[in-house]
Amino acid sequence: MTANPTSAEAIWSTDDTAARRSLILCAAGAVLGLIIAGIGLFTAKGTRTSAVPAEDVALVNQVPILMSDYLLQLRALYDVSLTEASAEQKKKVLDDMIHEELYVQRGVELGLQSDTIEVRAALAGAVEAQVAADAAMAQPAEVELHAYYDAHTGNYASEGILELEDYRVAPQSRLQPPALAEALRHGANPAQLGLIRTATMQDGEEFYFAAKIHLPDALYEAATRLQSGEVSEPLRLADGIHILVIKQNTHPVPRSYAEVRDKVLQDFIAEQVKVLAAGNDRFLRKRADITLARGFE
Amino acid sequence: MPIKRPRSPTSIAISAVLAIAGLAIAIVALVLHVQRQRRADALLRADPDRVLASSELTRTALDIGRPAFARRCAGCHGPRGDGDPLKNTPDLRDDEYLYGSGKPDEIEQIVLYGIRAGPSRGKNLASMPAYGRAKPYAGEPIPPLSPAAIADVTEFVLSLSGRSTHREAATRGRMIYQGAGGCYDCHSGDGHGDPGIGAPNLAAAVWLYGGSARSITQSITYGRAGICPAFATRITPLEARAISLYVASLSNPTTPKPNL
Repeated sequence: MTANPTSAEAIWSTDDTAARRSLILCAAGAVLGLIIAGIGLFTAKGTRTSAVPAEDVALVNQVPILMSDYLLQLRALYDVSLTEASAEQKKKVLDDMIHEELYVQRGVELGLQSDTIEVRAALAGAVEAQVAADAAMAQPAEVELHAYYDAHTGNYASEGILELEDYRVAPQSRLQPPALAEALRHGANPAQLGLIRTATMQDGEEFYFAAKIHLPDALYEAATRLQSGEVSEPLRLADGIHILVIKQNTHPVPRSYAEVRDKVLQDFIAEQVKVLAAGNDRFLRKRADITLARGFE
Repeated sequence: MPIKRPRSPTSIAISAVLAIAGLAIAIVALVLHVQRQRRADALLRADPDRVLASSELTRTALDIGRPAFARRCAGCHGPRGDGDPLKNTPDLRDDEYLYGSGKPDEIEQIVLYGIRAGPSRGKNLASMPAYGRAKPYAGEPIPPLSPAAIADVTEFVLSLSGRSTHREAATRGRMIYQGAGGCYDCHSGDGHGDPGIGAPNLAAAVWLYGGSARSITQSITYGRAGICPAFATRITPLEARAISLYVASLSNPTTPKPNL
């Protein structure tokens, strides 16, 4: 007759082969678990580690100095790679970076982020930049970009181009202004009609924005409505009556999606940044305990 | 009372074999994990510029970098890294680099911090002004150019690669390029660009936004400013290193080409 295998005595009995095997396996499992936990605990980034992780060159109070930053500094200061750098150069760069990290940590200890305007501005800017980075990360699909382009086609129009001659009717002119305009339409020589060419827009083609600066508003409005080769009706301004001869008027037209894709992407991301920034602001305000003084609600 | 039946020698042998096999699998898995971790650590500790000279490190870099590139970068740069003209993304296989000279550590900075993507450590210093707009550049006051001046500068830019057909216009364009336009400030006096700020070499045969007269005129008139996302907060340092080495390998003729 064999012993009752369910009894506690039998389970812990080292005389029984099965019980002995179970204990050994349990012990082996426990040891393996401890080893795995130990590896995880003592090599995980962010916990206290006995060795510097491979992606870092140093830990300063457990704050890593990244290898990529170190390489960048070597390149920036000496234009050398890790292999090309001399021992002195490496030491200098690492010392500088440790110095900076220590001072940053000391600055936080001293609460400089509350006192120093530059630190506050840099911190606020860095948070905003992080929001922008998140927006840039979410690469939109072409369909989304195309839809954005379709909804804002006006933003992607070409710049209009204007070339014109601006004449002022001489006070002693024999012909009435409407007759002068009509004569110009039939190819008459402006000088023979006694018209005076003004100094505006004598340099040829101008973009609309430049023409708007150079021409009085009434002339600009009239000019942009006319087509190439047309002559305006006489336009009365404070300094006299003007007639415009439009040499060329290239109206703004929407540029194709392919031509402006980079701008569309920029604008799309800029809009996403605004949305994300507003959401971030809402989240921070909701999370924060903000108490307003009486009279400032 | 239950009676324990003695186990047959066969079942004991099978149990023993299974136990040994399980232990062996666990040990092999552990060894493989440790080896992989060691290779990863070696890759992170190595000088990025020298990795592609080592076949073992290169294999590790490509094994990690290729799938990471496919996940993070191929959407814009294409699965082969040959760029997409419709998205104005560069062909990463040639040896023309807008920023830097194609060194892995330079590429790694772009992978981590991007181009015009927000982080202050990214490539944000300059973009191409829009000389045909009232305010060509947001960063500093730059005067706009007239359509005729833009046409002349276009002709000068074409002349840098021997394609100008209008000598007088190119001469006028040179004056604007080196004077009122301020183009020399980024592209340098000889038009060979400045890889420090991403100003392209105008004498090269590679054009991100097209090299025809019309495309150049469009670039001068309306400006350019491409974006590359910053992955610093999304990928591990190992992935960043591996992606940069994979990208560097695409234009490195001595590196064994990955099977795509």
